[in-house]
Amino acid sequence: MLAIARSELIQILRNRLVLVTMLLVPLAGSAFYMYLHDRAPDLLDLGAVASVLMFLVVVMALYTTAVTTLASRRQNLFLKRLRSTAADDVRILTGLLLPVTAVTLVQVAVVLTVLSVVAAAPAQPLLLVSAVLTTVVMMLGLALATAGVTTSPEHAQVTTLPVMIGVLAISGWVGFTGTEELTLVKRLLPGGSAAELVVNAWNGGVAVSEALLLLAPTLAWVVVAVALATRVFRWEPRR
Amino acid sequence: MTSTAATPVIDVEGLNVRYGDFHAVRDLSFQVGRGEFYALLGTNGAGKTSTLETIEGHRAATSGTVRVFGHDPRDRRAVRPRTGIMLQESGFSPDLTVRESVRLIGSLSGRTDRAERLLDVVGLTKKAGTRVSQLSGGEKRRLDFATAVYGTPELVFLDEPTTGLDIQSRDDLWDAVDRLREDGSTIILTTHYLEEAQQRADRIGLMHRGVFHREGTVSELTRTLPATVRFTLAASAPEPPLPGVPQGDGSLLVETTSLQKDLHVLLDWAREHAVELGDLQAGPTRLDDVFRSIGTE
Repeated sequence: MLAIARSELIQILRNRLVLVTMLLVPLAGSAFYMYLHDRAPDLLDLGAVASVLMFLVVVMALYTTAVTTLASRRQNLFLKRLRSTAADDVRILTGLLLPVTAVTLVQVAVVLTVLSVVAAAPAQPLLLVSAVLTTVVMMLGLALATAGVTTSPEHAQVTTLPVMIGVLAISGWVGFTGTEELTLVKRLLPGGSAAELVVNAWNGGVAVSEALLLLAPTLAWVVVAVALATRVFRWEPRR
Repeated sequence: MTSTAATPVIDVEGLNVRYGDFHAVRDLSFQVGRGEFYALLGTNGAGKTSTLETIEGHRAATSGTVRVFGHDPRDRRAVRPRTGIMLQESGFSPDLTVRESVRLIGSLSGRTDRAERLLDVVGLTKKAGTRVSQLSGGEKRRLDFATAVYGTPELVFLDEPTTGLDIQSRDDLWDAVDRLREDGSTIILTTHYLEEAQQRADRIGLMHRGVFHREGTVSELTRTLPATVRFTLAASAPEPPLPGVPQGDGSLLVETTSLQKDLHVLLDWAREHAVELGDLQAGPTRLDDVFRSIGTE
């Protein structure tokens, strides 16, 4: 597993396009927020900004990269090659997705640290961490399912659009409008409850027990995504 | 110990593989013993890839049982540390170097070896630091072979191993296979180069339309067909004593089940009539002819 992760990391570091994207997204996000903060410090709700930045990084850097990577490794038969060894499927997937996940977590940490330094620190950091981690797991599950219906890295540019736009829109909508209205719908949509959790964790004022309930829909989406992935994920190109 | 020695390395019993309506492999049964060199041959679409992939553990059997070292071949943890697989298509990551690829796939096999030793075996030492994307087709095949034989596995699958290799690389590869056999490895080969199978295989399974058309040793396979004599005659020569079939290249082809006797008759006749037999060839049927006979039956 670690051998696969190491080779995957080497490949990421050698691929300039992936590397640049990985550095650019969080940098641009942070810079844009600092610019806005300079102009109008109280224009935006801080929790909502944190939520949007976190989802931007997790969706762009983790979800799309994971789908593209898996489609590419399948297309050039690298997945079949790995399955010709003693490594089992879970280890193979874990090894392949570990580096990009680790890089994403660093990116999220950087972006949110910049936010807390420039503006204000989160009220409940542990709650924030749990929101980030469950979101990452959910997007990994969705990436596996999406990779199942993706035939090539190029095809990933199309297949990732629905989830990418959907989750970004939902998280922004929930982040900036709250969940006073349409509560159930907003919380059940993928990313909705996680966005609410980030807002609550950053702004504070919500009981931990109540906030933790918001983890449930995100974890339910993990179950749905993994169930989908086990049905549609393929290890070899269609012939 | 005696019971394990008697257990076949590969045991296929009543194997069926279907894709929807297509019945790729039908009730196939065969065994491969320890240390044997078994060649699985067949026409295109004969079902040999489906059979091979099922034995390798890449594909589930629709019905029937396949055992490798007494285990389900899909039980990677049990089977793969003892198995090396050279795939038909390479499947290496283009951004990794040759050395990194050997180390990665080798270490995942669960065996131990040195990447440098393997690169030396396949003549890629100078390419150790080269990215896989920069390799030629033949070099990729050699890299594939290096990963398959990492740690000298007990069982090695070679799926069209010499496709795209020049003669020197081909000889080197077969030398390496000979060394594996000296160490007791069992070899499963598929190839389109029939002379490779004819020269090296202990036994051959010749597949056609999902079943074995013939199975046995090379001589068992070729013995069922007549031997051949080929020669050319000058236009002025008298009628030869054996009924020859004119071939496209102007030569005559004689098929015979008693090669020694008929060859004697032919040579005596040639001396008596002072006829020169041009490009004279005589020999047992080659595997190619067994293959061609499938199409006509």
